[in-house]
Amino acid sequence: MLRKKLMAMLGAIVVLSMMMTACATPTPERIVETVVVKETVETVKEVEVEVVKTVEKVVEKTVEVMVTPEAEEGALPRNETLYFNGQQWGAVVGWNPYSSSNNNAMMGTGGDSHRATMFETPYLYNMLDGQQYPLLADGPWSWNADMTEITFKFKAAAKWSDGTPVTAEDFAYTWDTHLKYNTGVGAGNKEYIDDIVAVDDKTVVIKAKLDENGKTINPLLVSAFVSSNIVIQKAWTQKLEERTGGDETKLKADPAEDVVYSGPYHKFFADDTKVVFIRDDNYWGQDKSMWGKLPVPKYLAHVIFKDNAAGSVALAKGEVDVSQQFNSNIQLLWESYGLPISTYLPEPPYGIGASLPTAFYNLKSYGLDQIAVRKAIAIAVDYPTIIANAMTNQSATFDQVPRSLMNPTPGEQAMYNHDAVKDLQWAGNDIEGAKALLDAAGIKDTDGDGWREYNGKKLSYIATCPNGWSDWQAAIEVVAAAGKKIGIDITTNYPEWSVYQTVVTKSDAPLPEGYDIFMMWSAGAGPTMPWGRIRNMMSSEWVGMASNWSGNWGQYVNPRADELIKAIPGETDAAKLKEMYTELVKIYLTDIPSFTLMYRPQSFHAVNETVWTNFPHQDDGSKPPVPPLDCTDGWGIACLYNITLVNP
Amino acid sequence: MLKGYRKYFFNKLGWFLVTLVFAFILNFILPRLMPGDPVAAIVARMAQGMSDATGVRAIYQQYTELFGTNKPMVEQFFIYMRNVLRGDFGYSISMYPRTVADAIKSSIGWTIALQFPAIITGWLIGNTLGALAAYLKKGFDKVLMPISIFASNFPAFGMAVILMVIFGVTLEWFPTSGGYGFDLIPRFDWRFIWSVITHYQLPFWSIVLVSIGGQAIGMRSMAIYELNADYVKYARFMGIKDRKIIGYVFRNAMLPQITGLAMALGTMAGGALVAEIVFSYPGIGYTLLNGVMGQDYPLISASTLMITIMVLIANFTIEILYGFIDPRIKAVQAD
Repeated sequence: MLRKKLMAMLGAIVVLSMMMTACATPTPERIVETVVVKETVETVKEVEVEVVKTVEKVVEKTVEVMVTPEAEEGALPRNETLYFNGQQWGAVVGWNPYSSSNNNAMMGTGGDSHRATMFETPYLYNMLDGQQYPLLADGPWSWNADMTEITFKFKAAAKWSDGTPVTAEDFAYTWDTHLKYNTGVGAGNKEYIDDIVAVDDKTVVIKAKLDENGKTINPLLVSAFVSSNIVIQKAWTQKLEERTGGDETKLKADPAEDVVYSGPYHKFFADDTKVVFIRDDNYWGQDKSMWGKLPVPKYLAHVIFKDNAAGSVALAKGEVDVSQQFNSNIQLLWESYGLPISTYLPEPPYGIGASLPTAFYNLKSYGLDQIAVRKAIAIAVDYPTIIANAMTNQSATFDQVPRSLMNPTPGEQAMYNHDAVKDLQWAGNDIEGAKALLDAAGIKDTDGDGWREYNGKKLSYIATCPNGWSDWQAAIEVVAAAGKKIGIDITTNYPEWSVYQTVVTKSDAPLPEGYDIFMMWSAGAGPTMPWGRIRNMMSSEWVGMASNWSGNWGQYVNPRADELIKAIPGETDAAKLKEMYTELVKIYLTDIPSFTLMYRPQSFHAVNETVWTNFPHQDDGSKPPVPPLDCTDGWGIACLYNITLVNP
Repeated sequence: MLKGYRKYFFNKLGWFLVTLVFAFILNFILPRLMPGDPVAAIVARMAQGMSDATGVRAIYQQYTELFGTNKPMVEQFFIYMRNVLRGDFGYSISMYPRTVADAIKSSIGWTIALQFPAIITGWLIGNTLGALAAYLKKGFDKVLMPISIFASNFPAFGMAVILMVIFGVTLEWFPTSGGYGFDLIPRFDWRFIWSVITHYQLPFWSIVLVSIGGQAIGMRSMAIYELNADYVKYARFMGIKDRKIIGYVFRNAMLPQITGLAMALGTMAGGALVAEIVFSYPGIGYTLLNGVMGQDYPLISASTLMITIMVLIANFTIEILYGFIDPRIKAVQAD
């Protein structure tokens, strides 16, 4: 009797408890109540003063959306929105182009292949043909006779979002501001650029810093400046300076919601889950002197995924159109699942390799000062396994692209003499060769424990990379396995990135224990490449820096290499250049201060053609060729003007 | 009676305050004992491609100055304490120039909305089932027990991934990631609200399902133990009504369960992590994880301080409630 009653009572509790989660069950009145309350709270929570502006902006823009016939209330029309992943990994912190800690990736704040969605550079770099194409600039730039000054003009049509023309004075003032407030751009270029002057309304002269002989210190870096640095409006900059009272920290920390821009897109919406850009239909670039039309998608939207797995799921489901992230085994998406997903190349390596993730030797570790030991480990490594496992074949192999200091792009490959270094290149897995090399150097197992000794001391190393970087960890494990095969004891260790980066970039002291072999990246494609990459990997100028984010983390010093690195930027004779690059490759492959483990694309670029099509693919006939840079980077932004709807 | 309770109350309050002070100090010190330098990470973002040593150093100094990491720890502590008392948690290092307050504010709402109902639901269902199993025994118990043990031993991420694969990827009943539709802009219309509701289901049930089993097992053993206690037998002999006895039994069996609930509510922020990561759900768990990864001292200290205070308040409330629920505790403690 009581038992039955109790059953009924408990049953009621179960029902009640389920009802407590009412916001999870669709009973209309309740939901409205719950959610409305929550939303009000959230609005109050926004940044104090800025909130008013944000809300106003959103409301004002949504009106615009509603004018569009297909636009459904509150939703981005799928046929007008291009979705991305892999560019933005956290909530955006601001819109300030001077802030170097700005994580607003879709906005773009300069770089070798600058992302010109909101802010524009005078020129756009195309990694496929190595050219800089005019964007804000009118026609190509030119050196003066002494090669000490670069001159270019701004297009007459180039306008800011407020309708005022983009002037030479804007460019000059941007540079002055970078210098005055010690931004990354200012500090990074002031050794090479003396001054930027507006000659008239539209004409700019960039004056290079000269050495003691009156020659430009680094012509390469000066000429790269025009495609890697954005123009910011003078009037807005002055407003910002006024608002922040000239305080350096405040100026860089300002969220700059009111920023004036020249690009085709600007802020529509941003919160912790996504960032959405909307097209400026008055964009100057629809002028015949530039694109002649507006970019096709009205919205660029980027959902913030927590990890690659979540991003891959969204790509497969068609919620992402353009994917800039590592999608493991990407070919399965079309081979096994038959999805309309594709990469730039239909076959492995699926993309164009641009950077060289590399294992560096700590040249001060015991025994690693011996070239024989360094070479033995490097030639014993099973690179095909690294490429198959860590990169799921999204890298060219070292049989396809023999190792040098160049990335696999045809432009860079043509810059050294392949035959001259043929004997020095290796494709890996050469266990016998490695053993013979060590034996010949007298580095043998003398005490019979299975490990080799150098001068009586066992060779034992720790190979390392940051924890959680799974592709790098897989690669480092293969390096360790190679050591075991040739009698060198290599164990692995994976510190957290926060620790790892502090240790590895401290180049003013020898690396501590535990960092005998460690992985870091190299520069990708850009107008200063391959010189910039080689400088990063081999130049001794980085040794001694307390915070070295450039390269040569193993602290290699070779005066001849330094000499060549210094001479190349001033060299204009192509044959001589090739000779110099070949010599550098020779030095690198002989001394082996570090060894490349794989090739990695500049951007991963996979597209889902459920909604949009006509993305760049190899041999798509575009002239100039549109690079596979996610429809946003460098000349890759041309893709936004070419794509079409699958079902218009 | 009242005097005894007052003594009990102040005793507990005293301990509460002492714990708070120590927790505050530890919240400050522990993150800062991690090896590594968070400011170097900021400089890293700015200095990439910079080839000028003095420039890098200048930027580095500017930020160590801003975050005060160049000052002695004791001095940093007093600055921190002064700011916290003013309600100012400063700039987040990993999300600079966002403030810690802003980062927490924008994510905590999601976490509370997800975790609070999930914890309460899981607790209620679990305890109800456990009590039923103890009381009804037989078939119900034989089915429930193995299922509970099975379910409670699922790691949280396992449950989350299984739900995602079955209901999100295969059946496509529910979306797999985010707090609301990938194509929506928050506003007060049906479409958005419906989207929030559907996105809510999988993370919600992944938390509820994992917690039900454990609660049910705990409640069942406690209830069986109490049902067989001498006082129950004695009460039966006395002819006291079954309903009255059940009342005593479950009141006693509930005690540890209530502690468990309080703890679960207190550690809500940390517990949210798995569901938030698997379903890309915006929330404090992921924010905190990023803070730890990026050695974001201000963010870690603020989040852990918040968790500490929540746990302490939960604990304190429970202890005070215990005084009412179980007079024995009060009597012992007040002596």
